[in-house]
Amino acid sequence: MKSKLVLLSIVFSLIFTNSIFADQKQLVGADADYGEHLFGECVTCHNSTGLGQGIPKITGMKTNQFITKILAYKSKEKENAVMQMVAERLGEEEINSLALYLSKLK
Amino acid sequence: MTKIKRRTFVGLAAATTTALSMPSIAFGALPRVVVIGGGAGGATAAKYIAKDSKGAIDVTLVEASKRYYTCFFSNLYLGDFRAYGSIGHNYYGLAVNHGVNMVHEWALSVNNAAKKVNLGSGESISYDKLVISPGIDLKFESVNGYSAEAQSKMPHAWKSGTQVQLLKNQVKGMKKGGTFVMVPPPNPYRCPPGPYERVSMIAHQFKKSNPTAKIVILDPKNKFSKQGLFMEGWQKHYPGMIEWISAETHGGIKKINAATMEFETDLDTFKADAASVVPAQRAGRIAMNAGVNKGDWCPIVPASMQAQADENIYVLGDASIAKSMPKSGFSANSQAKVAANHIRGSLTGSKVFTPRFANTCWSLVATNDGIKVGANYKATAEKIDKTSGFISKTGEDSNLRKATYEESIGWYSGITSDMFS
Ligand SMILES: Cc1cc2nc3c(=O)[nH]c(=O)nc-3n(C[C@H](O)[C@H](O)[C@H](O)COP(=O)(O)OP(=O)(O)OC[C@H]3O[C@@H](n4cnc5c(N)ncnc54)[C@H](O)[C@@H]3O)c2cc1C
Repeated sequence: MKSKLVLLSIVFSLIFTNSIFADQKQLVGADADYGEHLFGECVTCHNSTGLGQGIPKITGMKTNQFITKILAYKSKEKENAVMQMVAERLGEEEINSLALYLSKLK
Repeated sequence: MTKIKRRTFVGLAAATTTALSMPSIAFGALPRVVVIGGGAGGATAAKYIAKDSKGAIDVTLVEASKRYYTCFFSNLYLGDFRAYGSIGHNYYGLAVNHGVNMVHEWALSVNNAAKKVNLGSGESISYDKLVISPGIDLKFESVNGYSAEAQSKMPHAWKSGTQVQLLKNQVKGMKKGGTFVMVPPPNPYRCPPGPYERVSMIAHQFKKSNPTAKIVILDPKNKFSKQGLFMEGWQKHYPGMIEWISAETHGGIKKINAATMEFETDLDTFKADAASVVPAQRAGRIAMNAGVNKGDWCPIVPASMQAQADENIYVLGDASIAKSMPKSGFSANSQAKVAANHIRGSLTGSKVFTPRFANTCWSLVATNDGIKVGANYKATAEKIDKTSGFISKTGEDSNLRKATYEESIGWYSGITSDMFS
């Protein structure tokens, strides 16, 4: 009985406090395969293994953080000519697919 | 045919770990992709086809060298911003991480009908799909008096390797107050801003150790990539050192003489103490041999990078006519991903996504003074069309220029890891 309660509360807290889990439910039109394909465009510059010198690492980034940043480049609020250009042609489906794929990367 | 392959794939995919110990007959039943050229286009294509197909496609990369020295950042080596060893890369990662079969040989010819690549050793390898990304060959004869022999006195250094080291040796050894002559190539050529970044890096060397030296650029063109930005930078960092002479001003290079180091033009005869001559270019010879060229370069289908002349062959990078993309490592890497997705789709039935192309080229003008130009592209029926783009501005803040330089270091580490690991 007690262990069931604990389990229930873990599930409960996962649903409501784990941002990745919560985010993924809102990733409209997301397709992880498409995300993986699109990610090919990111890794021309964002080294997926190294230290992230000069260009920050994006692997391991939280879903919310990723979406917020891309949208800020898209609206040109955030500066960087290359990233503004990259974000410009990412629609909701692309952003969400990338977010889903990124959240699955270790 | 496709059905048989697909069934074979399912069986083998479940046992990829044991694939190596399988009898060669079963192994041969996998669809086969052969890639010629392990540079920016070919290494990327081989990796992505192998990685994404997860063992369902047998990928062989035929590359003459065991070590690839990038042309990108070879200028930074000239300027002492980079050690030579740091621009060399090996192919272990492709073999170990992705199961790419490396064959370090020259591909001599392609038998399109039999779908075979003939190697220098006399062996041949058959393919279902062939990717050709051989880079460029130089048209020495395009500059009257230039030749494969003259390249030791006036290095082109346009295919990286020891030519770049030779050029650096000659720049550093040039007599005090001497003149360096740079002859850039005519359009179209590999890396449009490259010759001007090279001049910037040589000027940077001279500023340190030979401040009264002069650099004369005898250009076969009347304008060049990032011109306003380079000119501004030269004025700022190397005032009075660099003179750019356009084709309409010098009237054309009539003849060069490597023995006397003279450059004859309508305007004057220029005498050099050291020089770099980069002649006109064409697609690497194997592309001609495969019959996928039309003149100097290879027309492609924009949506897939398939050769217009042979649907089983894909041409990537500098060798292709990927108008409006420039011939750059970034472009080749981007094209390779489009081709890899298309090849995998046609061999295994996996989803083929709408092609997306992009390019950005960074150049270094002086310490912490980086500039960049970039664009997005999409495939239309006729070409790879530019959809948007940007370029650094003149008079930019020095912090932004420093950040742009640092970004280029990040890009170098990103693209080389994307190609080789
Ligand atoms: C000075 C300079 C600076 C540059 N800077 C930049 C830059 O900052 N950014 C950028 O994006 N690009 C830059 N570039 C351009 C970039 O190097 C090329 O556009 C890019 O390498 C093209 O890729 P590729 O795959 O077409 O050919 P390559 O990268 O040249 O690869 C071709 C490979 O094929 C092999 N090969 C050829 N024929 C055969 C055969 N028959 N059999 C076996 N192997 C074969 C060769 O050994 C070679 O390794 C620069 C170029 C130069 C010269």
